[in-house]
Amino acid sequence: MEPVRYVDLLNQRYQQQGFPEYQWTINEDSALAPLTKPLAECRISMLTSGGVSHCTLEEWDPYARNDFRLDTVEASSPGQDFQVSDSYYDTDDAVEDVNCVFPIDRLRELDEDGTIGSVAPRLWSGFMGRIYKRTEVRDVQAPALARELHDDDVDLFLLVPA
Amino acid sequence: MGLVARVIEESGIATMLVSTGRDLTELVRPPRSLFANFPMGNPFGPPNDPDFQRRVLRTALELTAKIDQPGQIVDLADEWPADFSDKVETALLAM
Repeated sequence: MEPVRYVDLLNQRYQQQGFPEYQWTINEDSALAPLTKPLAECRISMLTSGGVSHCTLEEWDPYARNDFRLDTVEASSPGQDFQVSDSYYDTDDAVEDVNCVFPIDRLRELDEDGTIGSVAPRLWSGFMGRIYKRTEVRDVQAPALARELHDDDVDLFLLVPA
Repeated sequence: MGLVARVIEESGIATMLVSTGRDLTELVRPPRSLFANFPMGNPFGPPNDPDFQRRVLRTALELTAKIDQPGQIVDLADEWPADFSDKVETALLAM
């Protein structure tokens, strides 16, 4: 099937709800920081925005707006210890198996079989949908996360939006 | 998330984004993306299919070193077994 046209669908949805026309970010270029070592030597961390939280913590607010909560996730946590709460997508499969959106068990397996160098001690869950304060993300929240990743000596960062 | 990827990349760490919304990713242009034409809750595939999930994850990680054009989006070859357009519209109406 053709890829879903989310931009058109979301524009329609926002219009139905009476919101002003959404101003999409359009970027023409981007930075590129080359990987400096083979994958088998890279330390990897990962971020999900899919409303994933460890079962010892509060669930995410599925209708959150401008929520800058950012959870650290211990990389050793088994996938079955997570809950998923998000109104932005159909979470049935992720509730059944969190690896659909946050492949924490799979990442550890790629560490064990030597595909990657290591899993960073901390993985991340946050930047959930409906964040309208882009300047806050660009100038404050994302740079703060970048510092944490540098502290953990992360070579490659995987982001999984939902 | 594309914006977060851009900031992390600017700080010197290589990033890879696994997307299920090709048009959204085209607008935001994260430094590198793998597009899986799967439902939004399934970027790594179906539940309880570790081999499939591991293969998508490995593909994403291995692509990181291969992409040399900033903003490049690579399409995953796999197709989802069913048309999920209806599922997407239902989810959007509920939000």
